[in-house]
Amino acid sequence: MTPLSHYLIFSALLFSIGLGGAIMRRNVLVVLMCLELMLTAANVSLVAFSRAQGLEGVPVYDAQVLALFVMAIAAAEVAVGLALIVAMFRARRGVESTSLTSLKD
Amino acid sequence: MNPAIQAILFYVFAFGALLSALGVVALRNPVSSALSLACCLAFVAAIFFGAGATFLGIAQLIIYAGAILVLILFIVMMLNVKDEQPAAGHWCYCIVGVVIAGMMAGTISSAALRLPGATGGRCPVHVLIEHANELCPVSGEEQATQPQTPPAEYGGMLPSISMKDHESDVSLLGKRLFTHYNMSIVILSFALLAGALGAVAVGRKLRRD
Repeated sequence: MTPLSHYLIFSALLFSIGLGGAIMRRNVLVVLMCLELMLTAANVSLVAFSRAQGLEGVPVYDAQVLALFVMAIAAAEVAVGLALIVAMFRARRGVESTSLTSLKD
Repeated sequence: MNPAIQAILFYVFAFGALLSALGVVALRNPVSSALSLACCLAFVAAIFFGAGATFLGIAQLIIYAGAILVLILFIVMMLNVKDEQPAAGHWCYCIVGVVIAGMMAGTISSAALRLPGATGGRCPVHVLIEHANELCPVSGEEQATQPQTPPAEYGGMLPSISMKDHESDVSLLGKRLFTHYNMSIVILSFALLAGALGAVAVGRKLRRD
């Protein structure tokens, strides 16, 4: 069996890979995927805590309900984000984040 | 299941998930990134199964790997996105990203290893609950209603999940969701509706006038 700390460290690694990708990549679609990675990493630690707190073999379900809410909000976020990306493609003919410099220029 | 096999499976799935997460970041083609993300989410769903959260694992597979990934792939193919070409000065962003991600991983990992009660090998949440009276004193009546729970191991094993015959993960989660969190789920449905309306409003064609 795995200790709780290993779940948390796994979640931390997954989160930081997502964070690094969101900083490094210029393709907005990939940045959106990295955001999904970060949300999933948060879900992993929620599930690990729900199991660590459990009594008599039954996990604490508050954390799992929160993870379910995170999933639902992620679905809404992806819907809005993809619509924004399509709008951006219409306006700029590309999905590179480097093309979004009209405020700077 | 044998606990040793469960532990080995956790490490195998975690390794696979981290590897495919690196694939999401490293692969140039957005379609390969999306498929790598699907792999990663499937591995995470397997970890959820191992942790006893069967409903969440299935929801992860259906919602993320099924719906969201297909939507992302659909958009990638519709927009005909090309491979990302390395630009001049891009390595600067790469160094910044790696440094920030490494600092984040180190911070969270060290925090996970130093949580309250970690040195005593106890679950940090239990320690916080036990010391809640010192942090914010409650009246005697409230104190009596607080569940007295034995502290779980933190550095050691997680408690195993063993359901009783007449109860399943889905029914317990559903009971919690539709009794205690009933109002939250109504508000959440409004958030989803707002998201759908926002997607339609952003995505419609702009009039040039």
